[in-house]
Amino acid sequence: MNDPRIRRIVIVGGGTAGWLAAALLAQALGPQVQIQLVESAEIGTVGVGEATIPQIRHINRFLGIDEDAMLRFAHGTYKLGVQLNDFTRLGDSYLHAFGDLGLPLGLTPFHHYWLRAVQERGHADTPDLWAYSLNAAAAAENRFAPLEKIPDSPLGGLRYAYHFDASRYAQYLRERIAPGSVQRTEGKVVDARLREGDGFIESLQLDSGELVEGDFFIDCSGFRGLLIEGALNTGYENWQQWLPCDRALAVGSAPGGPMRPYTQASARTAGWQWRIPLRHRTGNGHVYCSRFISDDEAAAQLLANLETEALGDPRPLRFVTGMRKLAWNRNCLALGLAAGFMEPLESTSIHLVQSGVSRLLAMFPDRRCDSALVDEYNRQTRFEYEHVRDFLILHYKATERTDTPFWQQCGAMEVPPSLARRVELFRRTAMVFREGDELFAETGWVQVLLGQRIAPQRHHPLADALTDAQLDGFLADIRTLIGRAKNTLPPHHKFVARAGGSLAA
Amino acid sequence: MTDPRIRNIVIVGGGTAGWMAAAAFAKVLDAGCSIRLVESEEIGTVGVGEGTVPHLKLFNNLLGIDDVEFVRNTQGTFKLGVQFNDWGRLGDSYVHGFGTIGHDVGLLPFHQYWIKARQAGKADEIGAYSLNTVAAPRGRFMPSASDAPPGSPLANVAYAYHFDAGRYARFLRGYAEQRGVRRTEGKVAQTVLRAADGFVEAIVLESGERIEGELFIDCSGFRGLLIEQALHTGYLDFSHWLPCDRALAVACEKVGPPTPYTRSSARPAGWQWRIPLQHRTGNGYVYSSAHVSDDEAATTLLGHLDGAPMGEPRLLRFTTGVRRQAWSRNVVALGLAGGFLEPLESTSIYMIQSGITRLLNLFPRHDFSPVLTERYNAQSRFEYEHIRDFLILHYHATERDDTPFWNQCRMMSIPPPLADNIRLFRDSGRFFRDGEEMFATPSWVQVMLGQRIAPKGYHPLVDQMPDAELAGFMASVSHVVASCVEVMPAHQAFIDRCCTAPAMVA
Repeated sequence: MNDPRIRRIVIVGGGTAGWLAAALLAQALGPQVQIQLVESAEIGTVGVGEATIPQIRHINRFLGIDEDAMLRFAHGTYKLGVQLNDFTRLGDSYLHAFGDLGLPLGLTPFHHYWLRAVQERGHADTPDLWAYSLNAAAAAENRFAPLEKIPDSPLGGLRYAYHFDASRYAQYLRERIAPGSVQRTEGKVVDARLREGDGFIESLQLDSGELVEGDFFIDCSGFRGLLIEGALNTGYENWQQWLPCDRALAVGSAPGGPMRPYTQASARTAGWQWRIPLRHRTGNGHVYCSRFISDDEAAAQLLANLETEALGDPRPLRFVTGMRKLAWNRNCLALGLAAGFMEPLESTSIHLVQSGVSRLLAMFPDRRCDSALVDEYNRQTRFEYEHVRDFLILHYKATERTDTPFWQQCGAMEVPPSLARRVELFRRTAMVFREGDELFAETGWVQVLLGQRIAPQRHHPLADALTDAQLDGFLADIRTLIGRAKNTLPPHHKFVARAGGSLAA
Repeated sequence: MTDPRIRNIVIVGGGTAGWMAAAAFAKVLDAGCSIRLVESEEIGTVGVGEGTVPHLKLFNNLLGIDDVEFVRNTQGTFKLGVQFNDWGRLGDSYVHGFGTIGHDVGLLPFHQYWIKARQAGKADEIGAYSLNTVAAPRGRFMPSASDAPPGSPLANVAYAYHFDAGRYARFLRGYAEQRGVRRTEGKVAQTVLRAADGFVEAIVLESGERIEGELFIDCSGFRGLLIEQALHTGYLDFSHWLPCDRALAVACEKVGPPTPYTRSSARPAGWQWRIPLQHRTGNGYVYSSAHVSDDEAATTLLGHLDGAPMGEPRLLRFTTGVRRQAWSRNVVALGLAGGFLEPLESTSIYMIQSGITRLLNLFPRHDFSPVLTERYNAQSRFEYEHIRDFLILHYHATERDDTPFWNQCRMMSIPPPLADNIRLFRDSGRFFRDGEEMFATPSWVQVMLGQRIAPKGYHPLVDQMPDAELAGFMASVSHVVASCVEVMPAHQAFIDRCCTAPAMVA
């Protein structure tokens, strides 16, 4: 009988997705599986300055990566959250900070206590919610250093991620992979051969004429989905009705200005603009909807909103938000942009690659690719994507802006029922429940819901169990502990200089 | 402006569900909220010896009740799991133990390595690799040892209790009354609905007393006095999958030391429980009346007691299923009023507990936002259906063909998500817990293996471990488990030392 085990995996595409997948698979599978990665230097990767979320630190631990060395190599800085500007009203600004908000008491999440204080005493007399987030307090003063927990208290410390140059990160991963465990082949795929009968991919034909055979194929070829779509015609589900932006222009700008330990996302007339601080430059990009603004106008807005001079011309990108109908089809798994695209408003791209690989490892098949595994993978992937999608839609939908046709349309659009239910629950009761293993936890949802001015009618009834004096004491204690802890943190740029060694202080 | 808060809660029914709810509300809600409980001594409660799952500890923690106090007051004993006899085949026996199996390696759960080793003839039964399943049949018990090194199975012993649910209710009654809950003796004669929206406005007792409330908790048992009789919520019947519809319960004299596990033995048309308490043993036969008469069932039950019966078996009738809405208008049904699933995995009290927690999480205000109710009902349905599927697994995955009852169970069609789980496990031993469903991977794995669903293959990553190392790994885990069990005291000795119930006036 033939050995049913998978012995050869072929990865197509060498961007962040491809190399991240290669590194994780090589580490997890060891020498029993041979991994081959096909990439072409001719095909550019999308890597611009990239922001991440804290889950990326799990990858680094798993791969045994030295954080300082990696960040030095990838020009990285630290990230405590995302600042969202002008989304709900022009002039608005709030932070979606990672990490805890205050401290829950018993069954009741913290924000209900804060909300009770606001509702009983008014906004003017109550510090805002972010006074209870150490991440927010540190971000406001551009401070950073790792802190596990606030000493002598029940409060958690800073939760952080990175900003870095994603193509340098990919290169770093590539160089760290154990020698021999991933074979890199330079070339362009010109054809995929399918097996008679079940339509599994059998081999790939490269432009050099070389034939690459494999048991399992991972499509990291980007938007076009060379295998998953080009060969297998899997189909794509379009989400533009909810997330209408379809183009981006990206450009680096010269270093200068404060080194913020957070990403900035600022709403524009027909989309939004990111700013990501790296060590050697700042990454910028304008994500917009081509139905509402021309490319020239979009470029002009982008360039007008740089803090320092542009380094070169903006590079255009086109995309369609949505997801592949099946991320795993037959013996082909799509990762990264080949699996779907959601704009980087909450920096989820790299995480979706990471979680796709973990899911694959959990469901690692043999050569038959049992449909029970494939179905389970696709079910979990859909769950993850749809919940991230809903979270992004919230940023657009919960707006009061009527100053441009784009924002008018966003405010008026009908949203998925899953999201409508959540917003309604929050509006009426301030309650948020994380669903299953969805990516963003309650604290993320609460900050964005409140930041986008969805005002709950009331707080949780159990928050009434404290007396007024107890409530004041509880809130004041948390603010004090956070204020003290924040003051012990050094400026972000100094910490980077110390840890990184490459930046003149 | 009127106070938008709920200030007035009425609980109808004083069994385990009623008093658990009263105690939790009294602890968590502010003192300004009035809590009343109406119960009648004439109406018996269903409380027989009751098994639980480890979650009950969390509930007791919330109330600030410690183990020793609890066990002493309820004639309680400790439970490491459930022993299933004669389920897969006549003569089979396995333990579904709480806690983990072996220890996981990297991304993979322990049982994946075990499957490969077992297929190569280099591993014992799965039960040899967890503390609970080894300790239980040997009658050993102790809770976590504070001085055990981290990672030792003794550092984290998962256990639950057997106890007298009637005594627990009485104990909680004392707790709740001390904290201001008012108890009223009486039977509900009438439920008054508000004309405008059909909310319950008040209940009227046989004495003529009218009790008004804003939130009503229906703990009136199977019949669902408020949720069904007044609000006609409807019931979703699961009995085509779980055909047992009656139980006969009887206590018997205690013979020998209490086992630290519940026993569940399959019978010709159902199964029999055995739950050891400190002073006696609870027994019951859960059966399908379509397949066996009450008399015959009683004979079977009495023929399998290990001590003399204490009185006549009591008959209970039920329909397995769930209330279409556990929360309807201003009524939340808890316990049997909310639904019934047979006690095969001791989930009844857990579901009361989780209903209370869910209600506290979604606690309403005066206007009863439908969004809260919808969420409550969706979560509650999710929980019921997943437990239901886990129970169906026990019946369906059998090779027994000796009675029409077992033939029917084996041949029946099952809910598609369960069919998928079985298929996936049979393929390569994989299981994925769905969201926050109650039973976690080790439970499903133990029961699937125990019911003879044999995985054909295993996770391909297991092959990374060299064969010699695999055999060593298996041996070291079972060795550690066995050595830990050696140092555990006998269950009876532990109870004697820590938590003997006070002598009772006969």
